[in-house]
Amino acid sequence: MRALVIDDSRTMRRIVAGTLDKLGFETAEAEHGQAALDLLEGGLDVDLACIDWNMPVMDGLTFVTSVRANPAWRDITLMMVTTESEQSQIVRALAAGAHEYLIKPFTPDAIRDKLDLLGLAVEGQPA
Amino acid sequence: MNAPVTTVLDASVVHDQVSAVAQEVFAAMVDGDAGLLLPWEGELPVLAEPVVAWVDLHGDWAGRLALRTGAPTANALARALLGLPDEAEVSHADLVDACGEVANVVGGNFKSLLPGPGTLGLPQVGDVLPQTPGALRLQELPLAWRGQLLAVEVWSFGAQDAPRAAVATHDGPAIPDQHGGGDHA
Amino acid sequence: MTLSADAFAYVADLVRRRSAILLQPGKEYLVESRLLPLARSAGLSVEELVARLRTRPVESDVTAVVEALTTNETSWFRDSTPFSALARHVLPRLVAARGGVGRLRVWSAACSTGQEPFSIAMTLLDGLPPAMDAEIVATDLSAQVIERARAGRYTQLEVNRGMPAPMLVRHLTRAGAEWQVSDAVRAMVTFSVHNLLDAPPAGPFDVVFLRNVLIYFDLATKRDILRRVAQVLRPDGVLVLGAAETTLGVDDGWDRVSVERGSVYQRAARRATEPAGVVTAAAGLPQPWLPPAVTTAGATRGEAG
Repeated sequence: MRALVIDDSRTMRRIVAGTLDKLGFETAEAEHGQAALDLLEGGLDVDLACIDWNMPVMDGLTFVTSVRANPAWRDITLMMVTTESEQSQIVRALAAGAHEYLIKPFTPDAIRDKLDLLGLAVEGQPA
Repeated sequence: MNAPVTTVLDASVVHDQVSAVAQEVFAAMVDGDAGLLLPWEGELPVLAEPVVAWVDLHGDWAGRLALRTGAPTANALARALLGLPDEAEVSHADLVDACGEVANVVGGNFKSLLPGPGTLGLPQVGDVLPQTPGALRLQELPLAWRGQLLAVEVWSFGAQDAPRAAVATHDGPAIPDQHGGGDHA
Repeated sequence: MTLSADAFAYVADLVRRRSAILLQPGKEYLVESRLLPLARSAGLSVEELVARLRTRPVESDVTAVVEALTTNETSWFRDSTPFSALARHVLPRLVAARGGVGRLRVWSAACSTGQEPFSIAMTLLDGLPPAMDAEIVATDLSAQVIERARAGRYTQLEVNRGMPAPMLVRHLTRAGAEWQVSDAVRAMVTFSVHNLLDAPPAGPFDVVFLRNVLIYFDLATKRDILRRVAQVLRPDGVLVLGAAETTLGVDDGWDRVSVERGSVYQRAARRATEPAGVVTAAAGLPQPWLPPAVTTAGATRGEAG
């Protein structure tokens, strides 16, 4: 399975991608929504995108809206990974078409749990 | 108090909330478990090579969330986050990014506890906090991470916090850099 | 306070063999802090505790150490399959069998800090027809966890564990840095302290969740517990065990029914101890179970979207 990790923090990308690696994913990274869209438009095929909310150039919510507007990307599972944790923000993200929402800080087990909920097969367990 | 209506924070509530947030961030992202970030006990050491990471918050409440520690601890923190072995070299870019991200996550969670909406600035890292006129340190939480000092600070940019912040229920002059209730036990 | 590399390697190997969880080097602090309470209550240091384990591996000590190292925050909708099985298969069948009216009763028999019974309550609240309601009896041996469960309040880290985001916004509200379970959900659950070795709470129940708790008991006790559960379970009721658990080889009074990626258990069609003439489970067995639906990402997404 392939995942795209979108966050303007290199540290956060490494943490998320590192956990996904251990769960058997191949990962690609992008530092904002536009860079991520460029990768998708360039033909990158992914099953899952983990998306930060606040990023320069294009934020996560706009990325989600763009992906959901494109039928070609209908099968990509979209999960927000963000510090935004107000109820209204979560509702906004889900309404925009995000499938899941993970609040920072999170543990590797939390990612695994979310993937389980989403029916995305994972191998092994991250410790 | 005829300042325009803005958010006023109670210093002791800030203390508890920031403490809880810091605990969660370190438990989840750094240590993989709770209970490894503890209140500092004893005298505060002088940091030979200070490293400060901060985010500014804007909106109904304006201020800053900062983490202050020594360079060796900052490096250890970066290694923990990036999964690097104990003696590995940490590039300056990695240090800035890792410590900045911790400040970002702590700041972001703190922001979502504030009553009104607001935005978070980009995290920054340096050896000293920039001077901001009118800034008042609302809280300082000295913590021990792996036995080393790591302090979390909350600064307010708004004068409206001054009399309330220094002493929770007392009307008095602004006392910068005091914990709530410090003089009035 | 650093665990020796040798002791760490031993513990990591033990955990890997028992639980498939990998403790990488770098987790020494975690091992130390997790084993400290166990070590203290034995009057030992962690190093000494591990040394004792190596020379004298008593099963209950080994289990306690593995549990201490592998149990993170209790998760919501743990393993997900039982809850989607509840929503998609068990609940519709029970509703049909009850004629769409009345009350369903569920026993969450090792409810810990409440995530399981609240997850059940949310699933039922979302899936029951208007003329039906549900009651969840939640019990645990520990008064401490029961008290936490009654409060219905969880940290952000705790709600991150296995809670579907749509469930979160529908059934919980932010309270400061924490999240509070809604009154509607809390009203469905009653909590009490209970020992599984004692008589069960008053039945009958339509569903019993007995997950990941039988492991603490020996074979004879497991059988006793399962028999007591059977006594308070309706003939067409369902028992749900932990993902890696089974009644096979423990108690032959159960039939395993395959549902989605897992199983549930029903009282066996015929039990030697039941007198003739009593309505047996056979009468209550469902019309043929539909073949378990393959859970695809698409199907799950349909719910979340």
